[in-house]
Amino acid sequence: MARFYLENGKVAAFIGHLQQQKTVYAPHRKGRNAFAFAPVDRPQDVVLDYPRTVSSIKRYFLPPREELLSFNLVENTCEQPVVAPLDAVFLGVHSYDVHAVLKLDHNFVSGNPERNYLTRRQGALIVGVGFTPDRFHFSGSVGVPAGDTTGCDLFLHPCEGGYALEALTPDGEGLVAGFPLPAHTAGLPAAAPFHQHIYVPQAKLKDVLAHGYDSEVWEEEAEKCTSCGTCNLVCPTCYCFDVEDAVDITVTRGSRERRWDGCLLRSFTEVAGGEVFREEPAARQRHRVFRKFKYISDETGEPWCVGCGRCTASCTAGISIVSIVNRLVNDHDAVKA
Amino acid sequence: MTKRELITPAATKDLYLPVMAEITDVRSMTPLEKLFEIRLPGGAELGHRPGQFVEVSLFGVGEAPISISSSPTRKGAFELGIRKVGMLTEMIHRMQPGERIGIRGPFGSGFDMAKFKGRDVLVVAGGIGLVPLRSLINYVLDNRGDFGRLIICYGSKSDADLLFEDERRLWERDPRVEFHLTVDRGSPGWQGRTGVITTLIPGLDLDLPNTLACVCGPPVMYRFVLLALKSKRLPEENIYMSLERRMKCGVGKCGHCQINGSYVCQDGPVYHYPDIKALREAL
Amino acid sequence: MANKPRVGIFDFTGCEGCELNQLNFEDQLLDILEHVEIVEWREAMDGRAESLDIAFVEGALSTPDCIKRIHEIRRKSKVLVALGACAVQGGINALKNIRPIEQVREEVYGQDKYLFPTLPALPLSAVVKVDVNIRGCPMTQLEFLKVFTALVMGKAPVEPGNAVCTECKLKDNECVYEKGMICLGPVTRAGCDAQCPTFGQYCTGCRGLVPEPNVEAMEEILVAHGLSMDDARKKLQMFNANQLEGVS
Repeated sequence: MARFYLENGKVAAFIGHLQQQKTVYAPHRKGRNAFAFAPVDRPQDVVLDYPRTVSSIKRYFLPPREELLSFNLVENTCEQPVVAPLDAVFLGVHSYDVHAVLKLDHNFVSGNPERNYLTRRQGALIVGVGFTPDRFHFSGSVGVPAGDTTGCDLFLHPCEGGYALEALTPDGEGLVAGFPLPAHTAGLPAAAPFHQHIYVPQAKLKDVLAHGYDSEVWEEEAEKCTSCGTCNLVCPTCYCFDVEDAVDITVTRGSRERRWDGCLLRSFTEVAGGEVFREEPAARQRHRVFRKFKYISDETGEPWCVGCGRCTASCTAGISIVSIVNRLVNDHDAVKA
Repeated sequence: MTKRELITPAATKDLYLPVMAEITDVRSMTPLEKLFEIRLPGGAELGHRPGQFVEVSLFGVGEAPISISSSPTRKGAFELGIRKVGMLTEMIHRMQPGERIGIRGPFGSGFDMAKFKGRDVLVVAGGIGLVPLRSLINYVLDNRGDFGRLIICYGSKSDADLLFEDERRLWERDPRVEFHLTVDRGSPGWQGRTGVITTLIPGLDLDLPNTLACVCGPPVMYRFVLLALKSKRLPEENIYMSLERRMKCGVGKCGHCQINGSYVCQDGPVYHYPDIKALREAL
Repeated sequence: MANKPRVGIFDFTGCEGCELNQLNFEDQLLDILEHVEIVEWREAMDGRAESLDIAFVEGALSTPDCIKRIHEIRRKSKVLVALGACAVQGGINALKNIRPIEQVREEVYGQDKYLFPTLPALPLSAVVKVDVNIRGCPMTQLEFLKVFTALVMGKAPVEPGNAVCTECKLKDNECVYEKGMICLGPVTRAGCDAQCPTFGQYCTGCRGLVPEPNVEAMEEILVAHGLSMDDARKKLQMFNANQLEGVS
């Protein structure tokens, strides 16, 4: 499909063009040093060159808090709120976050397909953007180069003076239509290198993790860990949730709400009566990593980690998933060599 | 990668919407356990297998997984044996016939009764583990000709905690049932056997290759029952176990019930032992 | 509702800020009064009640008289709710517990110290059975309403056990550490909707430590972010002196 040249000076106008068609969500500055996706108000506030957002675009398909039911306590009845489709463009998404959405698609289509997620996700268009890996990104090690366009409708390859805008689907072409742009004929610049790597081919990870089940690394990392759950909650492929009922002050109405949850939290496996099935922090640390590299991966053949580096960058204790996996690789190779 | 055309809500069901069902009878079994009889709107059948569970909900309080205690052979209503252990179950205990609660399900694997045809069935139930296994027991009794011997080993903390008194007395007298009972500690005057449940197993006379064991009880029990069954030389592939975890959504999404990579609400709670043998978090 | 629950509100050693926060329920105060009858409240009315369905108790126990009164309140109340950090953990008052009590007495009362008997500042739960905790300094209206509606429904409220970080992440907040500040969110109980980090402050730990807290790991985090070990301990002690010293 076509490739256009979008010079820096035209980016804001192009965002304006997208806004005329759909709601546009894009990265913005948040706080002092952070970035977050937000609906675009003024195109000039959009930041396309950013390291990573606090959380991924997952929050628009699987909101952090969501009403599953509203109920009436007097009548003892309930109803499901109507979930509206998102008629939206997600602009400036890094390749690893697009891959993360594709993985969530798998989780919400498989088994019992879930209406709430699929309703929002259906029809959402994605405009990817290349990125320069920082000291936490390692998506190259899990099969997601910075310039990977999988799952995108359009992709912005950073190049001299602007972007090579690549149309990848008819929907993507439709978004560009009516915004005159010259063709981009030069080659694409080489992708910037990653500074973090998992040193093992993906095919071998299955063995490495099976071998690492009883590794000392779990206990060692658990000693540093406060079990705050941040690593789960910022992960773009985590989708576990908890459900809680709340009632309003009149005690006549209320809602059943789900919210993001995480397997690193002690309460995660607690049942009525107080038994906690994954009581040891080390066991929870292992479960988190195995969820990313083994359990779903054994079924699908792909790592369920996309290498965004959020869990590591956000961990105040400095626990690194790359270090953990590389340690397992080393231990495995040392024994099997 | 999931095909784009699959990303559609068209084929989805109401995963989280409970059906409002009526409590038609409440029987107190012990100070902690009650048996609730529940009728779906229009007397619809729940359509469950023995060993499955439902999510029971009370608006404003929450939702919890509860094992189905009645056999699908008993029509028109189903039964839930509920122990008072938390906020939700405490509130349910206060409910009376005529009141309505929310039901989702049935969920989970349950026992594949076709595989039990013609076989001897050994039930090993510890404490509240009898609640789900009662569904299986009554299924066997209602289709008695389809199965071989029915051997029930039931162990409880004390004689005051024993469940399903009326039925238990029937099983004790029923010549088609071999019923063995023990309590960890009997109160003064207890005439029956004393000792943990595993003490019942060595004395059993089993037709080994033909016997299928179904085990359910508190988490601590499984390893010991397994050892006892193994020392009887019961083949591993003849063992089924029903496990408890935090099945919050019941539909394989929320993640709470996972045992290693297995979702208990989808693959369990009834597992064929060889399938969970390698799952280190299972037992 | 025919029989409204009879409610009493009491205070011990504390700033009474939690009680004042109850009076601040401008939008919901009338709704609250729909459900209950307040029969004893020194801060807003006269008189004493014989028996209560719910007692909300603010403040830490720090004198022999406190101990006597809390037993009386417990005896006449069906449900006892500890209101705010002082009642739940001993609060800031408990800072005195990490120093010799005679020294504290002398510092505060000087030569009159013999007129003022004092005890280590204790949470209510150290002396009587507490049924429900409403945490925070001050308690948040959000959590008060949650507990209140639960009690009106006759159910036991669920106490949050996760860390404040979970609520921060749900709100997509920039991590306080990212801003170059320190924060006790990783070991502090959630339930406040991460109000302080959301509004540019850091978490001081007012809601108490999470169950099974990894205090050593938290200290290491604080030290790695520039605090001395001594300062790290002091940060943690501010609201949690009792819990760190093993007084529940």
